[in-house]
Amino acid sequence: MPKQRSNLYTFTFALIVCVICSFFLALVSEGLRHRKEVNKEMDVKKNILKVVGLKEPLPEGADTATIKKIYETYIKEVVIDKEGRIVEGKMPQVIAEGEQLYPLYIYEEKALPVAYAFPIVGKGLWSTLYGYFALEPDAITVRGITFYQHGETPGLGAEIEQQWFTNNFKGKKIWDLKNAALEPVIVVKGNVEDKIQENERDHYVDGISGATMTSKGVTEMVDRELRKYEPFFAKIRGKN
Amino acid sequence: MAMTLITKQNRKIVKDALWENNPITLQVLGICSALAVTVQLKTALVMSIALTFVVAMSNVVISSLRNLIPSKIRIIVELSVISTLVILADQVLKAYMYDVSKQLSVFVGLIITNCIVMGRAEAFAMANPPGKSFWDGLGNGLGYSAVLITVAIAREILGSGKIFGFQIVPQAFYDAGYVNNGVMVLAPGAFFLLGIIIWAQRALSPQLSSKDATK
Repeated sequence: MPKQRSNLYTFTFALIVCVICSFFLALVSEGLRHRKEVNKEMDVKKNILKVVGLKEPLPEGADTATIKKIYETYIKEVVIDKEGRIVEGKMPQVIAEGEQLYPLYIYEEKALPVAYAFPIVGKGLWSTLYGYFALEPDAITVRGITFYQHGETPGLGAEIEQQWFTNNFKGKKIWDLKNAALEPVIVVKGNVEDKIQENERDHYVDGISGATMTSKGVTEMVDRELRKYEPFFAKIRGKN
Repeated sequence: MAMTLITKQNRKIVKDALWENNPITLQVLGICSALAVTVQLKTALVMSIALTFVVAMSNVVISSLRNLIPSKIRIIVELSVISTLVILADQVLKAYMYDVSKQLSVFVGLIITNCIVMGRAEAFAMANPPGKSFWDGLGNGLGYSAVLITVAIAREILGSGKIFGFQIVPQAFYDAGYVNNGVMVLAPGAFFLLGIIIWAQRALSPQLSSKDATK
């Protein structure tokens, strides 16, 4: 049977275990840091390519070099300020915290914009939701939405990343032509068919049952982020 | 010649954990991840490898320290060792198999809470030398893997018509009216399969029904 140990022994043992465990974890974490960063960077690019709806979708299991090539061929990265003007010479990666500058990703085919995509961030129920939102060149119709990182409950809030949810956004409108006002897409509680009258349905999508808080979070973040980019998109609408 | 490297006693330890004392079907441990990650064979396989690695290595480490660990902090020390190993496995997955690690999301981290690991540490590693503890860990890991892989194969074929992502059910079946079984993609489907596996195992080895499951 284990012998009675002195408190000093117990403390020292605990300390040594902590030091050794921390050492190994730090070693592995640092050692793998470069690979993890590359993975994250590729994931961001893959998500942008996914949300803009490429004519030829990215092949499954494409390797790093392919993703980079397709991204660099079709996506133009710009930075816009809060008045909706493009800031020359600035790249999304160097935007500092607190600067009122926003990244914008433009999918171009033959030098014409086919889609505008931007990152969206907001609070879900348990975690921060990270995704991308894409608009058609008319800056009125939604082209797509994706969520690439969140910590919501599988089967409930986590349904936001499922195709059935994100596909509902495609074709919805964020601008009300009659009132000439911004009307970001709202996630209803329940089904759009039951809750919203026909002429309003373009601005609503079906909710996720059992995930009211997450759905509300999605509505709020889409609203907030669209307003941030509205000065820029208003200009696009004006030109069209 | 290779078989003599694994002594008869150690082979028995592994064999026991695979059938007579299978961690999922007999010890009834580690059920939650068995339900969550078995929607596809790929994720089930990665999870199996991760868990087998953790339970084998944690058994070895804890067994090596078993006479040194002060009894007052025994559980916490075991937890520290297990957590370190799990985080190591998680980091390696994030670096080398990023897409799979995203699909597994929190479940690799949850290996820390998987009762199989702590269960074997307490039940075996604390009372046996590192060599035998390694085989016990490996055996339990393989027993867990066997159940996970079986459930995953059934769930992926019946629930999405694929194996490892490759389409198995031919389009002709779908055209004729065949529909993927939606229940298999959800947790209850896994529960049913698990029940069937436990039932089948006890039917094949009737002596297992009467013995105390948590040895």
